[in-house]
Amino acid sequence: MAITVNFPAVLHPVAGESIVVRESVATVGQLLQALERLKPGIYKELDDPLYNIAVNDEILLHAVDSREVHDGDVVEIIPSMAGG
Amino acid sequence: MGIRERVATLVAEMPRVPEFPSQGATLFVDLQRRETQTAYTPLPVTRTVLASRGANMYYLYRLLDETLAPLHPDIPLIFGSGLLTGLVPSAARGNCTSWSPESGVLLDANAGDYFPSFVRMNGFDHIVLYGKAPAWTVLMIRDGVVSFEDGAQYAGMDNIELRDTIARDVGGTWKRNLAMVNITRAGENGVLTAGIMAGPKAIYARGAPGAKMGSLGLKAIVTIAPTRELPTAQSYKPYNRVIAQKLLETSVVKNALSKTGTPFLYKPSRLLGAMGTKNNQETTWTDALDAEHFDPFRPGMEGCFRCPVNCRPLNDLHKAVPGKYDKGDGPEYVTLGKFGPNLGIDSVESVIRLNNICNDLGLDTASTGSAIGWAFELFQRGIITEQHTGGLALQWGDAGMVEKLLFMMAARAGFGNVLADSTRAVENGHYPAEALKYRIAVKNLGQSDPHDARILKAFALGLAVATRGMDHLRNRVTLEINARINDNPEFKRELYGGPVSAEPTSYVDKERAVRACEDIYAVGDAVGMCRFTTKLFNSPSLPGLEEFREQLENVTGLQFTAAELERCGLNIMGVERLINHRLGVRRKDDTLPDRWFDEPNPSGPYKGEKIDRREFDAMLTRFYEISRLTSEGVPDDKFARELTSALGIDEPKGLSPQVV
Repeated sequence: MAITVNFPAVLHPVAGESIVVRESVATVGQLLQALERLKPGIYKELDDPLYNIAVNDEILLHAVDSREVHDGDVVEIIPSMAGG
Repeated sequence: MGIRERVATLVAEMPRVPEFPSQGATLFVDLQRRETQTAYTPLPVTRTVLASRGANMYYLYRLLDETLAPLHPDIPLIFGSGLLTGLVPSAARGNCTSWSPESGVLLDANAGDYFPSFVRMNGFDHIVLYGKAPAWTVLMIRDGVVSFEDGAQYAGMDNIELRDTIARDVGGTWKRNLAMVNITRAGENGVLTAGIMAGPKAIYARGAPGAKMGSLGLKAIVTIAPTRELPTAQSYKPYNRVIAQKLLETSVVKNALSKTGTPFLYKPSRLLGAMGTKNNQETTWTDALDAEHFDPFRPGMEGCFRCPVNCRPLNDLHKAVPGKYDKGDGPEYVTLGKFGPNLGIDSVESVIRLNNICNDLGLDTASTGSAIGWAFELFQRGIITEQHTGGLALQWGDAGMVEKLLFMMAARAGFGNVLADSTRAVENGHYPAEALKYRIAVKNLGQSDPHDARILKAFALGLAVATRGMDHLRNRVTLEINARINDNPEFKRELYGGPVSAEPTSYVDKERAVRACEDIYAVGDAVGMCRFTTKLFNSPSLPGLEEFREQLENVTGLQFTAAELERCGLNIMGVERLINHRLGVRRKDDTLPDRWFDEPNPSGPYKGEKIDRREFDAMLTRFYEISRLTSEGVPDDKFARELTSALGIDEPKGLSPQVV
């Protein structure tokens, strides 16, 4: 299994990186736990209202942790904010 | 009773000395007679609606003669700075208020940069302008002394030239001791999308304040004085450090606003299928305009007076498109959306160049982009033809044509005269009535940001009930787009004072979130805080009522509880709705464009989503109930009496039925 996670340039310490998670995971929640094992501290960084998660370009607005993921999916961390 | 009698009656009731430490005077300026007088906002008014936007509404309520027309010289134009403006980090803002010639409802626009702070350092918190100057005039405020200067030599100048010329003539230095608000040719020509410039990019944008200022014969207000400390009730700088730290530690500031600015929002909007494209016929657009594509053209960031955030991106196009417009400030997300997807433009360089031109021409990019997008769709549908446009073919994505139209608008030349009438093009006989079906506007004000709100029902309600028209900056429940908050019901309940559905497309309890945002944003405006750094707009962690309360006590000595401040926010909305009621606004005006009710969202994960009329109406009713409004959207009897009693204003007449 391989799920690619793309990080934005503003998210340290993984700015602009792509990380491939090869653990067997079924949901976004499990994916985030797997990411934490690969990059300790990342779970806390992502627990931030600035960041949203998109799976295969579908941005998720709620019920994120239970969202299913599958082999080959591309997950992206997307900064979201308001402007004027 | 004419404006002079109204002002005389008002001033007679006002204190002659400050009511609390740091309070500046209200300067009344009769431009026709070249006379001024000063007095101070009464303390009960401050306690009820604070300052800036709040006190501006008090002054407008007192001085408005709704039997006239917005551009009549007896209709005042009012500037106000917040109670914390110029003193607290990220509180650099002020409001400009009148009766809008564009929308026909209240005009209220907000800007930062340096003028709202520097005018306070000259001793003034509010400026009330009325009467038509006999010739173009510059109001000069030098070390607190007001003079009327001949403005004829500045007539015809746009923003870049005027700022250069004024700095040379007056001798001051921008950002150090010199600040200005001014109009451009667009304001002189009564263009209904003309703003009042407050800096290279900063603009009192919405509702055509530039046209209003031009109608008074006022080209600019210039302040020149060294920065100074205002007398305060007690030391406030230690708590400033707390606020600054809170700002700079918040992720949205640290990782986004201070590095790239607001264009970050483009990507989530297009992925969501909420990116208003081609006048909202479509809802997603190219990734070529994602924020990172602006990086090569951004040499740095700028900021407002004493703001540690510095969220304003500078731009430099000189290697790509050299010329007069190869450098500037911006674009913000609104401009990116309105001059990118809204017009079918997919080039970063084109968006930046059009942004720079709008900044020079003094055009509100929201209303201007809306007017052009509307015209393009009408042309696409054959509702208007080259006979209407003077032979111009309006094609999506034609950035060169858009540039040409901007200059024609500012000059009211040819078809530019039609576009310069903005949302009023049907009423003024330029377009057939059928055109209204495709107009994306509420209360005759084009949408501020490009977000298509068919998906997020809280966004939709906010746009419908905003008192100045279709504008997200009055009450946008931005955190509705954030899954971390939606998936934490307890935290969400705490943020909004009660449960709000986690589902973005749900109508359930969304009125509660809009009410909470509307209150805190109104308070933020009234103390001078930037919207971007006010709690709930971009983050739950930014300064909010508690921080405002603490600094208000330090600066002014006035004590408020957080609940009392929140009530001030409700009061401001209440006075605004009383004013709008006098201008004919009713429940039917708290609505949305037909397209959002009738046409399903065409793309993205929420394809098919639209606004259900019955559900929307029920949500609006609930909003009125929790806002203490009648079924027609005006303060109920008890609320109205509380407001009139606290403010010492006349009982409003002819309010609508109390049945909700």
